[in-house]
Amino acid sequence: MRETPLSNCERLFLLKAIESKKRLDGRQTYDYRSIKISFGTDYGCCSVNLGKTRVLAQVSCELVPPKDSRPTEGIIFLNLELSPMASPAFQTNRQSELLVTLNRQLERCLRNSRCIDTESLCVVSGEKVWQIRVDVHVLNHDGNLMDAASIAAISALCHFKRPDVAIQGRDVTVFGPAERDPVPLSIYHMPVCVSFAFFQQGTYLLVDPCEKEELIMDGLLVMAMNKHREICSIQSSGGIMLLKEQVLRCSKIASVKVSEITELINKALENDRQARKEGGKFGFVESMPKERITALKREESLVEMTDVQETADQIISKAAAGHEVVPSPVIVATGTGQVGEGLQNTWGLDEEDEEEESGTKVEKRVEVISDSEEEDVVILD
Amino acid sequence: MGHGTYMDDEKLTASVAGEVERVNKLICVRPLKTRYNGEVGDVIVGRITEVQQKRWKVETNSRLDSVLLLSSVNLPGGELRRRSAEDELTMRDYLQEGDLISAEVQSVFSDGALSLHTRSLKYGKLGQGVLVQVSPSLVKRQKTHFHNLPCGASIILGNNGFLWLYPTPGQQDEEEGGYYTSLELVPLSDREVISRLRNCLLALAAHKVLLYDTSVLYCYESSLLYQIKDILKPETMDEIVMVTRQRLLDQEG
Repeated sequence: MRETPLSNCERLFLLKAIESKKRLDGRQTYDYRSIKISFGTDYGCCSVNLGKTRVLAQVSCELVPPKDSRPTEGIIFLNLELSPMASPAFQTNRQSELLVTLNRQLERCLRNSRCIDTESLCVVSGEKVWQIRVDVHVLNHDGNLMDAASIAAISALCHFKRPDVAIQGRDVTVFGPAERDPVPLSIYHMPVCVSFAFFQQGTYLLVDPCEKEELIMDGLLVMAMNKHREICSIQSSGGIMLLKEQVLRCSKIASVKVSEITELINKALENDRQARKEGGKFGFVESMPKERITALKREESLVEMTDVQETADQIISKAAAGHEVVPSPVIVATGTGQVGEGLQNTWGLDEEDEEEESGTKVEKRVEVISDSEEEDVVILD
Repeated sequence: MGHGTYMDDEKLTASVAGEVERVNKLICVRPLKTRYNGEVGDVIVGRITEVQQKRWKVETNSRLDSVLLLSSVNLPGGELRRRSAEDELTMRDYLQEGDLISAEVQSVFSDGALSLHTRSLKYGKLGQGVLVQVSPSLVKRQKTHFHNLPCGASIILGNNGFLWLYPTPGQQDEEEGGYYTSLELVPLSDREVISRLRNCLLALAAHKVLLYDTSVLYCYESSLLYQIKDILKPETMDEIVMVTRQRLLDQEG
């Protein structure tokens, strides 16, 4: 399906907000949305939530003959798929430009950076090597698929454990998980992609654009870095011209963000490892929030409003005066509240005011039915 | 064996979540979360996406864009005026891309696209207000979808799930046939009422309450206890909708 175009007033509003350093969800210019990394019961299954963007990565391995040009190296195969459940614009078999871009960027980030030791994946040189296959599925598209996909892929690779092998001469024995513990992959460093969206011909930039911001951006810069401040890949798309200082500034921001994200990934891996070691429950089911009272609580995000106060005052002064505010309940005594002033009581009796709080029922009569012949009626005030 | 079902080992199973409809032996499931399926006579609120030769394409949250023909709109100068070539060239003066309109469904094409018309003074381009987008299955089918709420604002409950809130217009001349949009400054009290109504609509939609004038009004009244921005908090939303549901049940019973 064709995507619904963003309406003009939404576009104008977003651009104006970006010019005054405000974002739709209250974030600062360099803020990421909340990242949640959870692992499944199988080794190598990782789901990443970047705000509302959801990505699932699954790693699997297979013994295959190696490439002729590299007989002593294992093979890494990356595959990203845009599921139609992510957005009405994605169709199953259509090779869209976005899909090709994301796949290429993921390959550059993970394969060209040599973050995985492929030599250790060799079993019998020239005959059998491990092929590590990473499948990334996009489950929901709310902007910034690249970052979420790279976090999911590298987390899944770090979490994955391949079967142990023993070589005796030409005989290769692959042990199942019950016989010998599976072995983790040898990973040198963790490259993570950070996306920068540019607006108004490069004047304004935002980190981690959401879907609406992506629709109005002029250009995108994706930088893959690891926590040792090594840049693994840079890609700029959209045709905007960037200055050297801008790119350098982005790299500085990226290094800060990447170290934070790497911290998160390591913590999630550690939690999962602890849970498995202690015999506790692990997996996706456990990491989903339960239906509890605190599940309704939502964090308040503060939005900077101080500079808008002046404009707001101007609008208010120009418009007509507002009507008087409804007074909030005044607590007269415990258990009674008063809203406004009632009319003069014409009954001549002293009556209590009705309670204004909803949901509190006052039980006036309780019938205690017992086995005795006498019926005891208890009245509570 | 109808839409929304499939045979799973001799058992008829629903493939979508929704209401079951039964006509003799035909069992269909009408999904709750779906695109808008138009019927003749529905009132919709839509946004112009394209201006083509002799017609506008309108986005109405359905599977295909709806069509508003030039011959289906009211042009100044009376209804029986012949559409000239000049009218075609000045189409953009009436409705541009990005404009919001309220219209009625005139007919449904064979592929499911809707043909709209604004041949009444109550339909036409919409001016200042707030648009709220909810699922089309939440809007109750009623005799009239234009309501002037007693709290001081007006609402158009589009059957396609687009709800339009706007300040109640005073006495105004309708000579332009609904294409006159007033750009006067809306007073703060009206703005507050509309903001509160918008948050109430979002609260009701989140709890899947059927939307019609009574439910919206009850929700507004029970939300007066809270500040406008607090209505969007999950706990407050829960409370307000619970009170609204209770009042609606009492009213029916």
